[in-house]
Amino acid sequence: MYLTLRELRHDKWKFSALGLIIFLIVFLVLFITGLANGLANDSGSAIKDTPAETFVLQKGSQARLNRSKLTEQDWQNFQNKYHNDVTKLSVAQMTIQKQNNASKKTDIAYFVINQDSFLAPKSIKKTDSNQVYVSRKLESDGYKVGDSFKDSNSGKTFKIAGFTNTESYSHSPVIYLNNRQAKNILPDSNSFNAIAVKKNLTKKSGYQVISKQTLINNIPGYSAEQSSLYLMIGFLYLISLFVLAVFFYIINLQKISDFGTLKALGTKTGYLVRHILTEMGLLSVSGILVSFLVTYLIKLKMPASMPFSLSLTTLLGTGLLFLIIALLSALLSLIKVVKIDPINAIGGNN
Amino acid sequence: MSVLELKNIIKNYPDGENVNEVLKDISFQVKKGEFAAIMGPSGAGKSTLLTIMGALLSPSSGTVLLNNQDISHFSKNQQIQLRLNEIGFIFQNSDLIPYLKISEQLQFIQKISDKKPTDAIAILKQLGLGHRLNSYPNALSGGEKQRVAIARAFINQPDLILADEPTASLDSKRGREVVQIIQETVHQQNKAAVMVTHDERILDLVDSIWQIEDGKLKKVNK
Ligand SMILES: Nc1ncnc2c1ncn2[C@@H]1O[C@H](COP(=O)(O)OP(=O)(O)OP(=O)(O)O)[C@@H](O)[C@H]1O
Ligand SMILES: [Mg+2]
Repeated sequence: MYLTLRELRHDKWKFSALGLIIFLIVFLVLFITGLANGLANDSGSAIKDTPAETFVLQKGSQARLNRSKLTEQDWQNFQNKYHNDVTKLSVAQMTIQKQNNASKKTDIAYFVINQDSFLAPKSIKKTDSNQVYVSRKLESDGYKVGDSFKDSNSGKTFKIAGFTNTESYSHSPVIYLNNRQAKNILPDSNSFNAIAVKKNLTKKSGYQVISKQTLINNIPGYSAEQSSLYLMIGFLYLISLFVLAVFFYIINLQKISDFGTLKALGTKTGYLVRHILTEMGLLSVSGILVSFLVTYLIKLKMPASMPFSLSLTTLLGTGLLFLIIALLSALLSLIKVVKIDPINAIGGNN
Repeated sequence: MSVLELKNIIKNYPDGENVNEVLKDISFQVKKGEFAAIMGPSGAGKSTLLTIMGALLSPSSGTVLLNNQDISHFSKNQQIQLRLNEIGFIFQNSDLIPYLKISEQLQFIQKISDKKPTDAIAILKQLGLGHRLNSYPNALSGGEKQRVAIARAFINQPDLILADEPTASLDSKRGREVVQIIQETVHQQNKAAVMVTHDERILDLVDSIWQIEDGKLKKVNK
């Protein structure tokens, strides 16, 4: 610490520049992670935020809700066994419009659910037959509580009884319908798409049984978006590992003769290793903390059209991962320092 | 009593297929309060000899006695402890740590050593560096830097001081002043010191002169 603090004080500009680089990289990673999570939520939060663990689909439906069709007979099979741990779910991606403005349409996803079941968001209360609860995401399309909207296909109108959270399915806001309301809109209201199970089921012959995550992964567009964003993040980690390693190496290379002198004077190699690790650790931690702050400020300012979401765990996890990467990057420099021969300090041959 | 005694030191460096025998059967000694100089042509092995004396290098064979203790086969860690506590080095180009202020150059040595600290500031003042305590090395002249290096070598009160061409980067007047300071300190504090030098004009300041040539060390009569 004695050497570290004094060196930081003496070479403040050099180390500030290094701290800035660390900050920029961590910030970029956090930003892209936030966007990836935001998009993931925008894609599947209506499924993800439910307490369901497993979904039962028609055999051969390839984990896609819209390809699955179950009947009343299927429902009986499950309900007899699991009672309140199962409920029906139908999802239909459609379009709505403001009653007197046919040119402004909004893509939405109808979730047909039983309003007493565990799939219903907490804020849903009993309503009249033409009142529905909708995702708060619809707010950014200009809808308010009490507004009416028209289902573009059937022409049926509903009134917004209230907003739930920002549930979203394949980037569209979710509108919750009960069975009776759905009858007016969906052509085939005797069948449904899936049975949601609040338990961890693995298999049932004659059906496709999948986990919640598998279902989300197969929401159209979800996997493609997530994998390209995570590929970018992966590369960012890799690139930063190299960039930091090179920077640390160059910075420590400049000090090789000082390290030789320190060793000749009787400084233990362990002391120098701790010195370097503390130095790089302090720089990284300050870079990471500043990037936390900036990410937080950016998060406050992000427009609703750019979904951004970063949990505290992801934030701290990313920070920790970066600290590890930074210290790994210092490894190359450490090897160099361990190998320095203090003899170089004597005889003036440097 | 000898502070440092070398007996039949041989040092070989591998040189391709052959071995380069740099030091051939060298014996040497320096007593308390004695300031010895080692002269010799370039490449004769003066620095090699000094690094063996300073526990920076182990000899190929022979004995190195520091205060009657054989240090020739010390482990790396033992050598580090020895360099920290028993030996003071003065290098050719002073080699101060660029990011430590002058007073901190000495404080640092005291910090990593278990020895009871002495008054570093007083030593620096004694060497005429009182007004430079809070400066960084790059603000100092060559002579001032070398005086700091001397203070650093003496701060831990080692028994043995080793200096490899401490005047090489100084003009002759400054060089002489620096050697005078080493001489006075050695005599006052009753230390032993060995200095490698090319400069014959400062030989009047030392107590004994040794000449190394063709790997052999001979004492020269003053
Ligand atoms: N690490 C090493 N490996 C191989 N040979 C070495 C090594 N260090 C020194 N030598 C050789 O040992 C011989 C003596 O070197 P040394 O540095 O001790 O000479 P010197 O007397 O200090 O010379 P100068 O007056 O130029 O400083 C030289 O021939 C040199 O090439
Ligand atoms: Mg030399």
